[in-house]
Amino acid sequence: MAQFTLPTNSKVTSGNHYPAPEGATNTKTFEIYRWSPDDDANPRLDSFEIDLDDCGPMVLDALIKIKNEVDSSLTFRRSCREGICGSCSMNIDGGNTLACLKPIDDVKGEVAIYPLPHMPVVKDLVPDLTHAYAQLTSVEPWLKADTPAPEGRERKQSPDEREAVDGLWECVLCFSCTTSCPSYWWNGDKYLGPAVLLQAYRWIADSRDEYTGERLDALEDPFRLYRCHTIMNCAKTCPKGLNPGKAIGEIKKLMVQRQG
Amino acid sequence: MSSSRPLSPHLQVYKLPLPALMSITHRLTGVILSTGTVLMAGFLIALASGPEAFAIAQLCVSHPLGQIALFGYSLALFYHACNGIRHLFWDAVIGLSIPAVYKSGQVAIVMALCLTAALWSVIYFVV
Amino acid sequence: MNKSRSMQTPLAAVRGLGSAKSGLHHWWNQRMTAVAMVPLVIWMVSLCILMTGASYQDALAIASHPANATVLILFVAVGFWHAILGLQVILEDYVAAEGLRLVLIVVIRMFAIALAALSILSILRVAL
Repeated sequence: MAQFTLPTNSKVTSGNHYPAPEGATNTKTFEIYRWSPDDDANPRLDSFEIDLDDCGPMVLDALIKIKNEVDSSLTFRRSCREGICGSCSMNIDGGNTLACLKPIDDVKGEVAIYPLPHMPVVKDLVPDLTHAYAQLTSVEPWLKADTPAPEGRERKQSPDEREAVDGLWECVLCFSCTTSCPSYWWNGDKYLGPAVLLQAYRWIADSRDEYTGERLDALEDPFRLYRCHTIMNCAKTCPKGLNPGKAIGEIKKLMVQRQG
Repeated sequence: MSSSRPLSPHLQVYKLPLPALMSITHRLTGVILSTGTVLMAGFLIALASGPEAFAIAQLCVSHPLGQIALFGYSLALFYHACNGIRHLFWDAVIGLSIPAVYKSGQVAIVMALCLTAALWSVIYFVV
Repeated sequence: MNKSRSMQTPLAAVRGLGSAKSGLHHWWNQRMTAVAMVPLVIWMVSLCILMTGASYQDALAIASHPANATVLILFVAVGFWHAILGLQVILEDYVAAEGLRLVLIVVIRMFAIALAALSILSILRVAL
């Protein structure tokens, strides 16, 4: 049975409270999920009061401030701070997004910050993405062609053909979409999920690739592809404005088309 | 010693948007219709079993509880049908942008409510 | 989810037994039966309105009319088929244990077919 409730060792308990510094007037409370493999305890929710007058505008700025000034054990992934590396994806105010692109002011009331949903937690806001990366590898996200490149130069593509991969190549592999999908929550072991399927379609749609048939063969499976029920949480949550649901729809359409 | 990794919260923290709520409602109405259609089949079987069986079936249907059940069944039917048509458009990859999904969702809900209201107005005031 | 103590590489676990190379048929049949249900449901709802508070003789007359009887038979057959397909998807989603899932799918399928057969027989008895 798919587990709709959290296992006992995953239930979140109440945690520590860190008040704002003296004299701070413009404060906001951040409630952040914490868990460490070093303590033998359930995850907890710590709350941090932050002076917004002394903080950058994005949620990532607040996280870095907390780590620098309040609790250096707070652990999260981050790198580019401009929405291109995909590292800082997490669940903020009930939706998955990149912390560096989420303005603090977008959130009314307390800012609840959790790791990406239904994932094993390595520590605090860091999920274990090993399985998701393996799923990405399994769709062979690189150009496959038997015809050698002409005289060792580039493989040509018309402007329209190039346009066909727009909305697909821009994915930063943050996995916000995949971990927002209830089907992936219940069947993530076998269902590939929106991010991987979008990348699979990126190579199916690329006119230079010569292995379209094999790629579609690999996807035609009641679990790998057809666990998608067009719930559309993926497109709603994508911090880059992409539409994995639509890409999956195109794959399904190709499945029908090749049957004649 | 590092203990077994916890699972991050999901339904407990995720704010499900309208399309997701409509999707799970579509599934729920499907299950309601599956069980309700068993009763519909029962009605047909009663019809073929003679006037006494049919009379009992009509009594059940006209009883207030039967009417409530029928009302619920019709609401589920119209919602599942209207949302189902929305799904069929999506299968043709039409209307899959987020604004279109929200708009068509509102249309489906309104249509389902209107059709249910129309059906029951006809049943109570016309027939 | 807590991983079992398997030493398999993550990629091997993802590749599993390979793609089933099927899945389209189920998806296509669910859409085809859905499309067919649209006119059938409209007709059925109209019949229900006609049958509201009807006497036994009136109900028989409605059901035995060839067009209505045909629609009733199709509604039952296509409706139960569409329902079986949908319920199978639900079981695949929520029941992880493969043995239990298979048993449930088979049991529901058999129950639905039996009920459909009985309903169609009833309609035929009335109409012929």
